[in-house]
Amino acid sequence: MAVAIRIGRHFRSLIFTMTANTRQDSSESVLTSDSVVDESADRTLAVRVRSFGRDWGSAMVLAALGLVLWEVLVRVLDVQTWILPPVSLILVELVDKPSLFLRHASVTAQEILIGFAVSTTFACLMATAMFWSRLLERSVYPFLIASQTIPVFTLAPMLLIWIGTGMGPKIVVVVLFTFFPVTINLMTGFKSVDSDMVAMFRTLGASRWQMFTKLYVRSALPFLFAGLKVAAVVSVIGAVIGEWVSAASGLGWLIKTSTPKFQTELVFAAIFTLSFMAALMFISIALLQSRVLRNYPGSEPQGG
Amino acid sequence: MSTTSELPKPTLTPISESATSSGASTDPDRPVLAVGVSAVSKSFPQRGSAALEAITNVSLNVEVGEFVVIVGPSGCGKSTLLNVIAGLIEPDSGEVALGGDTEAERLGRVAYMHQLDLLLPWRDVLANAILGLEIAGMPRQEAESKAAELAERFGIADFLDAYPATLSGGMRQRVALLRAVLPERDVLLLDEPFKALDAITRAELQRWLSDVLDRTNRATIMVTHDVEEALMLGDRVMVMSSRPGRILLDLDVDLPRPRPADVVREPTFVELKWRLLSALDGTSEA
Repeated sequence: MAVAIRIGRHFRSLIFTMTANTRQDSSESVLTSDSVVDESADRTLAVRVRSFGRDWGSAMVLAALGLVLWEVLVRVLDVQTWILPPVSLILVELVDKPSLFLRHASVTAQEILIGFAVSTTFACLMATAMFWSRLLERSVYPFLIASQTIPVFTLAPMLLIWIGTGMGPKIVVVVLFTFFPVTINLMTGFKSVDSDMVAMFRTLGASRWQMFTKLYVRSALPFLFAGLKVAAVVSVIGAVIGEWVSAASGLGWLIKTSTPKFQTELVFAAIFTLSFMAALMFISIALLQSRVLRNYPGSEPQGG
Repeated sequence: MSTTSELPKPTLTPISESATSSGASTDPDRPVLAVGVSAVSKSFPQRGSAALEAITNVSLNVEVGEFVVIVGPSGCGKSTLLNVIAGLIEPDSGEVALGGDTEAERLGRVAYMHQLDLLLPWRDVLANAILGLEIAGMPRQEAESKAAELAERFGIADFLDAYPATLSGGMRQRVALLRAVLPERDVLLLDEPFKALDAITRAELQRWLSDVLDRTNRATIMVTHDVEEALMLGDRVMVMSSRPGRILLDLDVDLPRPRPADVVREPTFVELKWRLLSALDGTSEA
């Protein structure tokens, strides 16, 4: 218990410093937006940290406040630990059993990453094929939409029968979850290319292949990234569902087997880990996006 | 009509070279027809109503070295005419000939500058400028050095590695024009190139355009609804009626070049402007 209290106190001071920082940030950002005219050339670390604070500071404060409220309410209302453990106990659980969570998280992470890679590859191929063939688009697109009406959860047990146990069916579920958002977004990206731009390329004598590589792919990139971000988040759900049906390891399996045993701290610790993984995926893609799309309009405020 | 003798000696060497090698000379006795539009009509099907007739029976000949300006009220089919000449759309009837050839594929043979700059936001100025050369298959380095040569003249030499989002509208139009001009086509189409700009930038760019364009080997057709702009730049000005667009007036602009800003006060200019305006007046009531 003493540990928990210490962690709680630590949290409070952490929140205090964070609020102080963000307040400072926001007042400074008002100044910088006017005075810093030359931009982007060399962003110093300080500027990076400041812009990170501006972008994420308020969300982090909100998250911290939520966690504190949770901790306080559970303690004040004296909720039984097996019903809802306080945040501090969940954190203690995480800190106490790092190897357990690491082992299961790595299994789930593999399923997610392999599934994500496979579905992204297929989605890009599919969207590209549909770009080149109207016939293919017209015949496949309705089924692509229809496929989303099938609850994947109900398919998962069938996958078990078809593919067997092991990592295979989990990867397939992840693919089923992530294929759609990436494909649809990329297709939307191809379709929303400015028709004046297309005309401009035509007057320059561009072939369809040149238009595809120099115009369509480049203009669709922001859409692709939007799809990847959605896919990143749902891929975690896919992996958990895959593990729910049949597994011997993974965070989803850990949650499923710990719930009936009322190991509620463990369950929540696993959920926290899953959320953390999803956030990590999302942030990695967002970072990649801001690198790749550095000069796209609206991707970063420009000075001119 | 031939005002080429009064032009300062052209310094755009790459373009003049290409023209001499292809044999297109600007001998005033034997004018070379760069663009021949004969009896072109185009209408667009409308959902639930009669087809929208954009242009009817438009004929237009432009010689090599000529700068022709087409003025007309908004929505008179000026852009449709340019799109037909560029090969973006095929006319319902009539013919378009480039260099006397009616059969040839026009896409890729006509430089076309849109009223929007249409710069690719993910490319810097230099990479945007060389797009046409790149598509034509020129090696990147060669294309870049070619663009860099002209950049000085276009006033964008200091911005070659800037991205379009950081540039002003006037600068962006300069880059767009450089991109259009670099592949050295025989015909240049300008679709209200200064429409999106403020009045000051616009006047500045009009003067700049007549300086920067080496017109000896190229036919230029510009579309605008600004009568003064037409008279500042054109060797000939044509007035188009409101929809369906027809050519109402074909006027030679007998003003020496280069035309200074105060040319607008010269009697000839005022007279021509008046004739254009009264012709345009007729169109809006029609």
